[in-house]
Amino acid sequence: MTEPLVVLDHVDKWFGELHVLQDINMSIARGEVVVVIGPSGSGKSTLCRTINRLETIDKGTITLDGKPLPAEGKALAAHRAEVGMVFQSFNLFAHKTILENVTLGPIKVRGTDKAAAEKQARQLLDRVGVGNQADKYPAQLSGGQQQRVAIARALAMEPKVMLFDEPTSALDPEMIKEVLDVMVDLAQGGMTMVVVTHEMGFARTAADRVVFMADGQVVEENTPDEFFSNAQSGRAQDFLSKILKH
Amino acid sequence: MDDIANDPGLVLNAFWVTIQLAVLSGLASLVLGTLLAAMRVGPVAVLARFGTVYVSIVRNTPLLVIFVLVFIAAPTLDLLVKTPFLVKGVIALTIYTSAFVCEAIRAGINSVSLGQAEAARAIGLTFGATMTQVVLPQAFRATVPPLASVLIALAKNTSVAAAFGLAEATARMRGLTNNNADDRWLIFITFAIGYIIIVEIMSAGAISLERRWRVTR
Amino acid sequence: MRIMRTRAAAAAAGVGLALSLAACGEAGTDTATEGGDYEVAENAADNFDDGTKMKELAESGEVTIGVKYDQPGIGFKGATDDIPVGFDPEIGKILAASLGIPVDDITWKETISDNREPFLQEGEVDLVIASYSITDERRAIVGQAGPYYVTGQQLMVPADSDIDSLDDVKGTEVCSVTGSTSLDNIEAEGATPRGFDTYSECVDQVLNGTVDAMTTDGAILLGYVAEHPDDLKVVVDPFSEERYGVGYSKDSPEMCQWISDTINEAYDNGDWESAFKATLGESGVDTPEPPEFDACEA
Repeated sequence: MTEPLVVLDHVDKWFGELHVLQDINMSIARGEVVVVIGPSGSGKSTLCRTINRLETIDKGTITLDGKPLPAEGKALAAHRAEVGMVFQSFNLFAHKTILENVTLGPIKVRGTDKAAAEKQARQLLDRVGVGNQADKYPAQLSGGQQQRVAIARALAMEPKVMLFDEPTSALDPEMIKEVLDVMVDLAQGGMTMVVVTHEMGFARTAADRVVFMADGQVVEENTPDEFFSNAQSGRAQDFLSKILKH
Repeated sequence: MDDIANDPGLVLNAFWVTIQLAVLSGLASLVLGTLLAAMRVGPVAVLARFGTVYVSIVRNTPLLVIFVLVFIAAPTLDLLVKTPFLVKGVIALTIYTSAFVCEAIRAGINSVSLGQAEAARAIGLTFGATMTQVVLPQAFRATVPPLASVLIALAKNTSVAAAFGLAEATARMRGLTNNNADDRWLIFITFAIGYIIIVEIMSAGAISLERRWRVTR
Repeated sequence: MRIMRTRAAAAAAGVGLALSLAACGEAGTDTATEGGDYEVAENAADNFDDGTKMKELAESGEVTIGVKYDQPGIGFKGATDDIPVGFDPEIGKILAASLGIPVDDITWKETISDNREPFLQEGEVDLVIASYSITDERRAIVGQAGPYYVTGQQLMVPADSDIDSLDDVKGTEVCSVTGSTSLDNIEAEGATPRGFDTYSECVDQVLNGTVDAMTTDGAILLGYVAEHPDDLKVVVDPFSEERYGVGYSKDSPEMCQWISDTINEAYDNGDWESAFKATLGESGVDTPEPPEFDACEA
């Protein structure tokens, strides 16, 4: 755990006039689970998306495993294969079966043969609890099932780090737990994770560190216990008071 | 009507040329149009610019002018002199139709939600694989109705070749009406029915594709 | 010789381009100079019986004649010409003169192959003189008086071509105007027919080597050879017979005898010969013997 896996060094990003990421410095160790919280518009999703370059940055550097992010082309694709991503809106490939969703990456990117990819995919689908849905299409599954498939799809690439961009925000309440259970399981298995979420329960249970962002800046970071019981900044206290009332 | 009655093969052969032109140009246009659409939505600025310029020039040029360029102008520059006429016809029709195919497919691509492409890129697919594996298969579904219109227009546009050395249906019809001034209406109707049959077959194909793809969702 | 030219308006843009590209090879209108002055009959209306179409035209002092605008030597009107020139318009002037109508009072109308019959049937024109070959199919729906000229299909090839008999066209590509009888005939000889919209496009295809030969009425071919004497030649004796007639409406069968009489008179007084010399004769052909008219139905 000496060398950090992901390092963001003086990262800045603008959307036109809007300075959405302001001098972000952050390093994430192997096996660490970082939960990023903050009010909407704080830049937390953007931060998450810069790590696999779905968003470009204007200043600073981001490294994965010591290597800076490639700008374009095959090298970038190779980098993304190392970084798993789970989206708020699942984004399962609508024209492919559940099984095909999970095997596409291994077959097309890793060159795994079809039989091996399917075997691995079925194991992953079993692990996230949707093994019996393998031959259906995404539209035939519930949101919670789809999001668990999306996690399996990302895991199939055997990523070094998993990014979760508000993975439960689009889910009906009764389905949130089934997704969080899978994520807790992953965290306990030693996966390096960056999770943007409003699920404070997950942060308390699974996070090694909580990062609080507001207005494009990292305002405060701490262990979950410290953060939730003893937030330092006014912005964080204000945010927590609003969230925890619900 | 004597000519048609005596030699029904004449009409069938004429439509065979029409069908060859339509099918070959249709396939070539689908390939070229898809490539152009990929250029237009792709990350390489030069290619995107090329695709945009190609579409706007070709769409603003009458098909007849493209035929004139391929059949009349090119040979005066020693180009395409020994190219078979059928191939030249396919070239002219493909140059034209691919611009419309490009736009139909681009509309289809835009109808595929951005998240699909993001998810594909996020698992490490390159731009090419993202297009062929994820975006285009979905775009084609949304594209079936407009593409069918483009290809039906193509089937009828083959008639322009009548004035450029190709003895397709319209050229034969003109010969027949010229020789049988007293039977023009029957000749017109015969050939109109031929075109209607071709277009109806294409429409039926498009409808069945739409239906099949809808079921697999 | 029947020639088609269709798609006139829609083709404007493309043909404009084709013409500018082909400008140097374009058939000049100067091959056909202004024809002879024909003696315009005085008090012509008195020469015709009441109720005849001729009387009606002579009294009105105007006549509308449909001719081709795209056949050098036969009927051609360049972009800058006021009136069409060629052998067919000359025949029209001779007929108008017998009605007492001077050239200035003739209304010329372009007829293409497809609209000759409709124009006559609907009274859009009074006469069609437009390389209008006499056929039984046409005589079933309109009147055709003539022939006033007989020609035949020939081949035009590059000067260095090996083609010098009709047998040689087997397996070659031969162009003419789309839909023309010439194309049917050459196809029957085993050539692949290549139809184009205009003669000038077809000539270009021969000149640049895209096709092996061009075929149509020998008189038209000679006009193009005269323009490119070093590059083109006409080969093969005429292998079809096209008998040009004057078209009129079936509603006025009395016109047949008048057309026949008037043109036969022109045979005798030299008007027909001077009309030929001023037009088709310019390309170097000798003036042929005037053909004998078919009898009009009683």
